[in-house]
Amino acid sequence: MEAAPSNPTHNIISTAPSAAISMNSSVATHRNPLRVDWPTVDGPLGLSEQESVDHARRFFKFGFLLLPWLWAVNCLYFWPVIRRPSSYYHPDLRRYVVRSAIGFAVFAVILSSWALTFSIGGERLFGHVWDKLVMYNVAEKYGLTGWI
Amino acid sequence: MDENSKPRSVLDSLGEEIVRIVTPVSICMLLVVILVSVLNNDSDSSGPSFTSIATVAYNESSSDSNWDKLKGAILNALVFVVVVTAVTFLLVLLFYFRCTKFLKYYMGFSSFLVLGFMGGEICLFLIGKFRIPIDCVTFALSLFNFTVVGVLAVFMSKTAIIITQVYLVVIGVLVAYWFTLLPEWTTWVLLVAMSLYDLAAVLLPGGPLRLLVELAISRDEDIPALVYEARPIINPDSVQRGAVVQRRVWRERRDNDIGSDENLDSRSNLNSTVYSSLESSSGLESLPSIGERTAVDVEDGLVSRSDSELAAPLIQHRINVRMNLQEGPSDDFALEGIGLGSSGAIKLGLGDFIFYSVLVARAAMYDFMTVYACYLAIIAGLGITLMLLAFYQKALPALPVSVLLGVLFYLLTRLLLETFVVQCSINLLMF
Repeated sequence: MEAAPSNPTHNIISTAPSAAISMNSSVATHRNPLRVDWPTVDGPLGLSEQESVDHARRFFKFGFLLLPWLWAVNCLYFWPVIRRPSSYYHPDLRRYVVRSAIGFAVFAVILSSWALTFSIGGERLFGHVWDKLVMYNVAEKYGLTGWI
Repeated sequence: MDENSKPRSVLDSLGEEIVRIVTPVSICMLLVVILVSVLNNDSDSSGPSFTSIATVAYNESSSDSNWDKLKGAILNALVFVVVVTAVTFLLVLLFYFRCTKFLKYYMGFSSFLVLGFMGGEICLFLIGKFRIPIDCVTFALSLFNFTVVGVLAVFMSKTAIIITQVYLVVIGVLVAYWFTLLPEWTTWVLLVAMSLYDLAAVLLPGGPLRLLVELAISRDEDIPALVYEARPIINPDSVQRGAVVQRRVWRERRDNDIGSDENLDSRSNLNSTVYSSLESSSGLESLPSIGERTAVDVEDGLVSRSDSELAAPLIQHRINVRMNLQEGPSDDFALEGIGLGSSGAIKLGLGDFIFYSVLVARAAMYDFMTVYACYLAIIAGLGITLMLLAFYQKALPALPVSVLLGVLFYLLTRLLLETFVVQCSINLLMF
């Protein structure tokens, strides 16, 4: 325990072979050329770095079709990219992932504030429009549950 | 079982692999049981309004005698099995003519229908029941997101493994819930009939699923289907740096005598370690395939497809099975079989998930005691099937053992155990 802080580099080099899949180690602050770090949360089962950039870009662009959950999945998949310092991976990759995260956060804030206002405010706030907008009434009006 | 040269004990890796397949099966069953107990308080009155391929021959009503119900149920099950066989042969034909892209897109479309429409409906049921004050804009947006990401996750193989697994389980839950809307006798006879069909289709030489797997092996292609694949266990010491794990076994190592596709045993010599750096650390090695089939609903003459998938050592491509929804939801059950991936990860077809969950949910409609009994029976059957799989190293049907055990335990519990337990409780002897 006391030895650890005193020689962190020793830890890194000695555990290099198994460090390839230790996704969560945030020990390294520099890029050790002997290590390969996987950008995805699946580790060796995931994508390589070049494929990751294409993948992240595609998901980022798709997310603009009103798909914040896609952005969230993108961030989840590339979680190690967010956690590590910015020089660790391909700069494009990090840029797309961070932008996806920001997009998801913004969207989530907007959507949740609207949803909470709607559900907590209720009829007092909206008046009779609330009854027209709430889902179970809409479903009954259009018979959406009848055709299973 | 091969357990040589593993730094961890066989119990660690083997046990963990089994746990990784039993956990999603259990979660699927649990979710369906919860859905059923929350939504289906009136289990006997759902008959008349529900027509599908499985009730085309006979629609059960509670006033018929037991014998009539049994005959009707057998007729229904027979029709269903015939349709499934026909569609599976159609799938084999399509696969033979290399229409894989068409199959893939169709599967993506059907999973879109399952997630979007069936998922939406079940959410509406829940919202209506609990009077959740959600507005239509939020609901529509969430459903849209959920569906699109689900289709991407199951359709493309490059999303996070956990997301794909979650969505596959969700699809299994939704389709299984739909199956529980069938009348009671029909459900039980259907389960037995499907397990017998599975046995025949995977093991008999002329069976469609076996043909499909042999075709896939001989061509070294993926079969488009819905397969749940457990995360493979990676031995940390043997992953070398810089190597992305290759998940397509066949592409990397072509065996020269692929022509001997009659003899599935020859494949057992194929070393499944395709990964450039991974050694075959896992004891359960490659080959075996999973039979998968999706049954489709025939509604007013519309035939949906069934997709059978015998996925041999394919870990990579989990393509969806499509469903064709018309008036009623079509059932698509993906895999009826179990197999091993090339890294030793176990693959189980989505059809197995669905039928196990249907069995347990039907048991839940009676009482929770039958649920416990059936759950134990199914898990035991799954364990037996896994052992057989490791022993025989080829594609095996996962339905027969579990479903037949489950049905047996259901009948025994309902007829014998319940009276015993009730009498004991009444007389304050136990519980």
